[in-house]
Amino acid sequence: MVEILTSQVVSGLATGCVYALIALGFVLIFKATDVVNFAQGEFVMVSGFISYTLLIRGGLPYWLVLVLTVVASGFVGVALERVVVRPIMDAPIFSIVIATIGASTVLRSSAGILYGYDVLPLPTLFSKDPVRLGVLTFTAMDAGVIGSSLAIMLALYLFIKLTKTGMAMRATAQSQTAARLMGVSVKRIFSLTWAISAGIGGVAGVLIAPIIYLDPNLGFIGVKAFAGAILGGFGSIPGAIVGGMLLGVLENLSGYFFNAGIKQVSTYILLILVLVIRPSGFFGAAPIRKV
Amino acid sequence: MKRLLGRAAVLSVLVGVLLLVGGGPGWAEEGVTDKEVVIGAGMDLTGAVANWGVNIKSGMEAVFNRVNEAGGVHGRKIRLIAYDHVYQPPKAVTNAKRLVERDHIFVMMGHLGTPTTKAIKEYLEERKVPNIFPSTAASMWVTSGPGHIGDLATYADQTWMIIDYLVKEKKIKKIASFYQDDEYGLDGHLAGKARLKQHELAYVAEVDYKRADIDFSSQAAKLKESGAEAVILQAVYREPPRLAEQCHAIGYHPLFIGPSPIVVDKTIELGGKHVDGMMGVEVYPLPTEPGAFLELYRADMKKYFPNLALDTTNLYGYQKAALFVEGMQRAGRNLTRESLAKGIESIKDWDPGWGLKYSYGGDQRRVMSRVGRLVVVKDGKWTKTSDWVELKEGGRK
Repeated sequence: MVEILTSQVVSGLATGCVYALIALGFVLIFKATDVVNFAQGEFVMVSGFISYTLLIRGGLPYWLVLVLTVVASGFVGVALERVVVRPIMDAPIFSIVIATIGASTVLRSSAGILYGYDVLPLPTLFSKDPVRLGVLTFTAMDAGVIGSSLAIMLALYLFIKLTKTGMAMRATAQSQTAARLMGVSVKRIFSLTWAISAGIGGVAGVLIAPIIYLDPNLGFIGVKAFAGAILGGFGSIPGAIVGGMLLGVLENLSGYFFNAGIKQVSTYILLILVLVIRPSGFFGAAPIRKV
Repeated sequence: MKRLLGRAAVLSVLVGVLLLVGGGPGWAEEGVTDKEVVIGAGMDLTGAVANWGVNIKSGMEAVFNRVNEAGGVHGRKIRLIAYDHVYQPPKAVTNAKRLVERDHIFVMMGHLGTPTTKAIKEYLEERKVPNIFPSTAASMWVTSGPGHIGDLATYADQTWMIIDYLVKEKKIKKIASFYQDDEYGLDGHLAGKARLKQHELAYVAEVDYKRADIDFSSQAAKLKESGAEAVILQAVYREPPRLAEQCHAIGYHPLFIGPSPIVVDKTIELGGKHVDGMMGVEVYPLPTEPGAFLELYRADMKKYFPNLALDTTNLYGYQKAALFVEGMQRAGRNLTRESLAKGIESIKDWDPGWGLKYSYGGDQRRVMSRVGRLVVVKDGKWTKTSDWVELKEGGRK
């Protein structure tokens, strides 16, 4: 019983880490540009197909595929910002959000046209065989996914905290006007933010596609990650991470204690509960209204 | 008296005119012209079971293309219109209405999916559009009376075969069910429950999942806890490999066995070593077997769909279409929904050339074949382990 529960938690954490990475992408773009990018999930799908192409059709070694995929995904992010978002930056936020939904449909359909709608297997670095560690039973895959996610999160934290560009990003998030006056190229920061968000989405794609298989509908995982971001408090980086992970664990446990139907809605039940009790999420700042 | 005679004369002239008009060429059946017959289908071309949808449609078209190139059936070419319902019942309904009301189809043929076909069942009955050989072997199609007719052994029949095999031959008593929580999964799940009861047994665990779910770790944990030695998979091709993987990840290795929808190469492609030893019920020969009909199938697929691999999925569509063409042949030049039904019902011991014979099962059992056999994944291939047997009539009670 204990053993099964712990293995449920560990595998839930692994899925949760992937949600957290995608949620991070949502939050980064939102903080910097006030846009909720509903194409965030598609970065996961696109990077899955990029790595599939390089790995299976190109025959490149795995580590090179990893690097190339994340870089390529970053470029997709920049392209999306330049082509879809920047031309309508002065439009109401609502229009931009709709434009990102449109972009996600275009990306999904393009993948379908190019690769078909079949489910494809993708090899992974990590083995799916079980490892035992006391009461813990998990797969190398779970450990690998959790480890890589945490590493990426740490790297991102250090980048934002310690580098000059990171400081410029924080400044832009606080006040675009002030940042501009301080000599920060806000446009460049926008592009960079999209690149980083898409790159993180790319990592999520490389991690999750071998687990749940690759197909053009993979991007719908973004919906759950979005819920995770709200759970943690939309706009908060630690919130996105904790919210995403919590969601993964909760899903597994509710599926274990109840049935598939409850598992499917548990995410949203929790989301509603949290929003009723604490509308700003776990880590979100309570909104300040100036009168 | 004279007046009465006069009225009778007028009446008979009227009836005569009506008969003449009704029987004339201009008043043919919906979807049927002198040179063409239009049939419709709803398929999943972009959703969770797109592998089945794309391949069934191609298999059917391979037959129709060949037949059309040779001049059609009784001079009529067959045109298939298929719309994508993404394996979602509401979309299936919209598509069915479009096919019937705008495209004026003659019959619905090979409509994919149990929940999706169930969603359009009443509508088709209302519009009197026959539902011929739907791509779902749920038992409801063979027992719903005229208007529906199945081609192969139902999920209920197949699950009875599985239960009998597990209980009698393998002497396994701890059996669990992993099923899709909709009309598809429930058909086999409930039939299995009924058959177990006859053996004075019951499932040790009943674990469901939702269409298009991608994670089954909690299901795996429940199955392991139940101690089931065999797990029956009322699933399609995407779930069995993932479930097996997640069971193995927690050190649980039961015998996995399921009805025909899991017997596709995709299951093996996705699951790799994790699906080794997985068993399934096959209700028609494998694409690689010998036989004149299979030779023809391989040649047609190569000619019309050179980019598609030979697979049980497209062979399933192919045999359906061949059976449909045979029914149309027998219906004759005067093609109506009624004459087609008569044509199909007249099929008895018809072997297209692969050793499997089709016979109409009767008014209480509107299905064309009821044979099955067991297959197992061995060295990365579905391999037969038993000979064809006539399956018992499985039911949910």
